[in-house]
Amino acid sequence: MADRGRGFSRGRGAPGPGRGGGRPPPSSSEPNKNKREAILDLSKYVNERIRVKFTGGREVTGILKGYDQLLNLVVDEVEEVVNEPAPSHTRSLGLAVLRGPTVTLVSPVDGSEEIANPFLAQE
Amino acid sequence: MLPLSLLSAAQNKPMLVELKNGETFNGHLVNCDNFMNITLREVYQTSADGDRFWKLKECYIRGSTIKYLRVPDQLLDVVKEDQLRAREANRTTRGGPPGRGGRGAPPRGRGAPRAAPRGGGRGRGRG
Repeated sequence: MADRGRGFSRGRGAPGPGRGGGRPPPSSSEPNKNKREAILDLSKYVNERIRVKFTGGREVTGILKGYDQLLNLVVDEVEEVVNEPAPSHTRSLGLAVLRGPTVTLVSPVDGSEEIANPFLAQE
Repeated sequence: MLPLSLLSAAQNKPMLVELKNGETFNGHLVNCDNFMNITLREVYQTSADGDRFWKLKECYIRGSTIKYLRVPDQLLDVVKEDQLRAREANRTTRGGPPGRGGRGAPPRGRGAPRAAPRGGGRGRGRG
């Protein structure tokens, strides 16, 4: 980081007037002590049933058995939740690897429920 | 004022997240990363058509699926203040001992690209 900073100021070292011209910082700045660790701790969901949604709208629930840092998941007793023909039903898929990059949503099934409109009361 | 610095300042604050598919999530931000992936707790999920609702204890949302996030207005003031303070801190630390190395590691934190009106008398030490 210090190196980059130095290179930068040396590059345009002359006390030119062009400073503060509202230049955005160089694109790759934001060194931001990158939070490389995952923001989701999946270890707490192991052997629990989780709900996973995918790009494209598919949705499954299953018991989490394993995972990696790309959010690839190993899930057992997978049930796909099929919403398309009106009454939603499920389809059993057994043991599956869910591909991380297509996962858009992860939440535990335990503690989740469908409810009545919670916003009506407030208005 | 960078989007992600605003977002990370919103930790533990309530927010509304709408996904590209129209679903919305109301909850408190637990954590976020540079991809805008977020985790929320105590979440109210609303279906895209707005007539089904779920309560989730917590959830993880992939950043690339987010359309927008609504955060509390007051957050703006908080972040501005923080930035000001950070800038102040920068000035006192590097302005301190004059002529000593001078260009030591520029501690430019988040979103403070302009380094105050100095720089003029700088860099010509060798003449």
